[in-house]
Amino acid sequence: MTEILKAFVNVIIKMPQGFGVTLKYLFRKPVTVQYPKQKIPMTPRYRGRHYLERYDDGTERCVCCGLCAAACPADAIYMEPEETANGERKAKVYEINLLRCIFCGFCEEACPEEAVFLGQDYEFSADNRNSFIWTKDQMLVKHPRKENPLKRIIRRVRRVYGVPTAK
Amino acid sequence: MADSTKIETPARTVETVTFTINGRTATVAKGTTVLQAAHGLGITIPSFCWHPKLKPVGACRMCYVEIEKMPKLQVSCATEVTNGMVVFTESDKVKQGRRAIIEFTLLNHPLDCPTCDKGGECDLQNLTFAHGYDDSRFAFQKLRKIEAGVPSTFDDIKIGPEIVLNRNRCILCYKCVRANKEAFGEYDLGAFERGNHTEINAAPGQQVDNPFSGNLVEICPVGALTNTDWRYKIRVWLTDQKASICPFTSSGTNIQFYVERHKNRIFRTTGRRNDAIDDGWLSDVTRYGYQIIQSPDRLKTPLIKKNGKQVPATWDEALAVAAARLTEIRDKKGCVCVGGLASPSLDNASLYTFNKFMRVAMESNNVDYRTEYRRLPSSLDNPYDIAASQAFTIADIDESDVIVVIGSDLVREHPNEYLRVRKAEQFNRSKVFLLNPLSTKPSDVAALELVHKPGAEEIAISAICLAAMESGWASGVNADDLKSKTGFKKAADAAGACGLDLIEIQAVARAIAEGKKITIIAGELVTRSREREAIGAALCNLNRVFGVDGKGQMAILARHANSVGAARLGLTPDLGAGFAGALKSIWGQYPETPPQNTDAMLAAARKEELDAMILVGVNPVMIYPDREFAREALDKLDFLIACDLFETETTQLADVVLPLAGWAEYRGEYFNLEGRLQSAEPGIAPLNEARPAHQILESLAEQCGSPLFAGMDQRNAEMEKILKVDIRRPWPTGLIEVKPQPQETAPERTVALIMGDDPHHSGYLTEKAPSLVGFCGEAYAELSPELAAKLKVGAGDSVRLEAATGKIIVPVRVSEHIDNDVVFVPRNFMAAPVNSLVSRKQRVDWVKISKVSD
Repeated sequence: MTEILKAFVNVIIKMPQGFGVTLKYLFRKPVTVQYPKQKIPMTPRYRGRHYLERYDDGTERCVCCGLCAAACPADAIYMEPEETANGERKAKVYEINLLRCIFCGFCEEACPEEAVFLGQDYEFSADNRNSFIWTKDQMLVKHPRKENPLKRIIRRVRRVYGVPTAK
Repeated sequence: MADSTKIETPARTVETVTFTINGRTATVAKGTTVLQAAHGLGITIPSFCWHPKLKPVGACRMCYVEIEKMPKLQVSCATEVTNGMVVFTESDKVKQGRRAIIEFTLLNHPLDCPTCDKGGECDLQNLTFAHGYDDSRFAFQKLRKIEAGVPSTFDDIKIGPEIVLNRNRCILCYKCVRANKEAFGEYDLGAFERGNHTEINAAPGQQVDNPFSGNLVEICPVGALTNTDWRYKIRVWLTDQKASICPFTSSGTNIQFYVERHKNRIFRTTGRRNDAIDDGWLSDVTRYGYQIIQSPDRLKTPLIKKNGKQVPATWDEALAVAAARLTEIRDKKGCVCVGGLASPSLDNASLYTFNKFMRVAMESNNVDYRTEYRRLPSSLDNPYDIAASQAFTIADIDESDVIVVIGSDLVREHPNEYLRVRKAEQFNRSKVFLLNPLSTKPSDVAALELVHKPGAEEIAISAICLAAMESGWASGVNADDLKSKTGFKKAADAAGACGLDLIEIQAVARAIAEGKKITIIAGELVTRSREREAIGAALCNLNRVFGVDGKGQMAILARHANSVGAARLGLTPDLGAGFAGALKSIWGQYPETPPQNTDAMLAAARKEELDAMILVGVNPVMIYPDREFAREALDKLDFLIACDLFETETTQLADVVLPLAGWAEYRGEYFNLEGRLQSAEPGIAPLNEARPAHQILESLAEQCGSPLFAGMDQRNAEMEKILKVDIRRPWPTGLIEVKPQPQETAPERTVALIMGDDPHHSGYLTEKAPSLVGFCGEAYAELSPELAAKLKVGAGDSVRLEAATGKIIVPVRVSEHIDNDVVFVPRNFMAAPVNSLVSRKQRVDWVKISKVSD
């Protein structure tokens, strides 16, 4: 007897309540985004694929010191240094295997030259494994450039890791 | 970095002192410094400028300790322990002192660790991390030293073929300058300016290119001195270290390879300090010699001669061809017709396999490892081999008060012993005497240098014996006997015959007679001499006259990495009844054929009596002291197998060429000149298709139908048995007659040629190491200034050296280290075949020298 009563109460009260929630959302602004036509902005701390930063004059910041590779917990970074004509040190090979990368951001934390940053870019799918090994040329920011897309990220990294802002 | 755990106590003190350190009471020998004592007790005191093998200087102040009743902190490296001293190494005062010193050291040190090659193994990094402040208080501009006109943002300057200097990084510990001066006796590096502006730099107008320059980089605690060899190649934490042995020196310098496993590549070599052998110092040949392994010129595949041309082949093909021809010749023409030469730089397993291959599979006694010597003795019971088999301890050189070097250009032949001799002079005030036909490098530490006429070694030694007897310093030797055995009536006659003053001879004789601990070293100039038996006899007499074996050591030093191993494993043709019997009992068979040594084999080949030869790691055309003779002999062979790392003049003559693996590519064991057994780990896997010598010979034997071993265990067990045979021969109890053969003279040729290794090269392979070529890339004729003036040549000119057998043209180097009518030419360069001027039948190679006018 009580079970029949319970079922009756559910149908009369609880069900309309549930439908009410659905009906409420019917009149709200939808959350769904029409990707890829439409994209939502990522949070400031989102860590996407890597960028290699340049100095203002276009020279690469990376000196291939190997600290990012040493810090990498997934062993995703491979590099080989070389000597430039005027005796400077720079990377001959700089590769990140984005399939191994866990996007922890230790590399940008370790980088003493502020050269490597995890950007907001998450669109790097590919149909074969080799295409996930990103090379130095792919990751280096373009030069010359009108505005620095990494400005916000650099500020964020400095703030998070307590790096004093350059004068 | 202070890595010593041994307390090094001065040898002559026995007095001890007792002191307290961090609450522990300890007793150490008097004269020990606080730092050494602490290290011996397992207490680490950080330091930059202290080095276990150098005198303390107290430049860096990092090793501060607190000593009771002393008002200020004391540098422990330069403070001797005294009785009742109370030392604290970890008190607050000391910690504060270290922090301050680190801060001060970093005052002008640039923070360019990311670009610095030392990063990861830098003492300053490590000690800053351990003892320094977290933060910097210096906000001002650091002092920066830049060379004017150098287009570099990093302020590097190249001060030597292999050394890059960054003066900003230097923390002025003076370790490099001190090591250069105290250990190597070189003055090409120095400190300039004063105070804040002090800098280390090469001496004006000079390059830091001494034969030990690589050590300066190794001991630099920061990245001020870096290596071009290692520059910007790899980070040290990505490499593995493999313990190995140097194959170029006979003392078996302990080295370690820095290897990247995945790339199968060696990146550099550093020392592995062994106080009994090398003190941690490496000669540059040892340091950069590994590069030959990775040379692009290495033989890639086996080659077979088809229609007069060598064509690449697979291992199976090459081994099949080699085995078929060898068995055919062995079976048809007899075992006498097969001969073999092996390199004394190979490891024990390879040498032993070679021996068994020749004597069991080929049933031939034609085995030898001595390719570069003239007139080899037929048996081993001769005075030379007696003197060469004597026990010798490298570390005992340090404690000897009299050191006599006979017929050896130490720095070119035995770099470790050279440094030991210097050390003995520096730290032990030993008296060093040099007895050579040319002035040699340790002359600056020598009490007396005797330069005798070329080819008069045994007369000079006899003169010493006679002088000792005349002055009554020799006891128990019959004067008439000595006179008749040496062939001279008076010491003055003998001295005159070898071009020396009697008073010089007497000085040496007196020093040997009065010395308490004596080391007498004889080297390659003795071994390579045609009259090595006469010189050996003279050395035996020297031992008899002075009783050297009772108060020191005397030996003719082995030259190659495993010469001792080759001798002990029986790689000489005539082994004598005892040794042959031992081999027969192990193998169950021993060939009865007449034994032929290198000379006899080549002579037989020239007469077409020998049909096939196997050469493992040797290049007779380049190192045999008669180029044309060796070439002709090898050319006339029906069948020649040559195993080597590179294409050489010898492999060009071969019917089958097999690529040999270098010592860094397989595990091997080596006997150094003391008879110390050391093993070398493989650094990398064999490159291309190269195989180790023992593997090649085993497969060859298998193909010939007589497999040598059932497995590695059998080989090792057999070797163990053979090594029990004692080949040491006792010194003779009586005097031996010294009877050299008469010397031939050629009136138109007036200058004696001395052939040897360049200090930066060893043998015929180091030409393939780019770094060593950077030091010295071509042959030269080293002349005395007088001879150069007589010929009117200077640096930049070339001279023509002519002998009956050939001529070469080489550039001139004027050196004050030669002061006779002697010319030195290195034998390491293929482009200048100096052994074409040499004849195996001559004692002194007289050459005609003339200026090349172009």
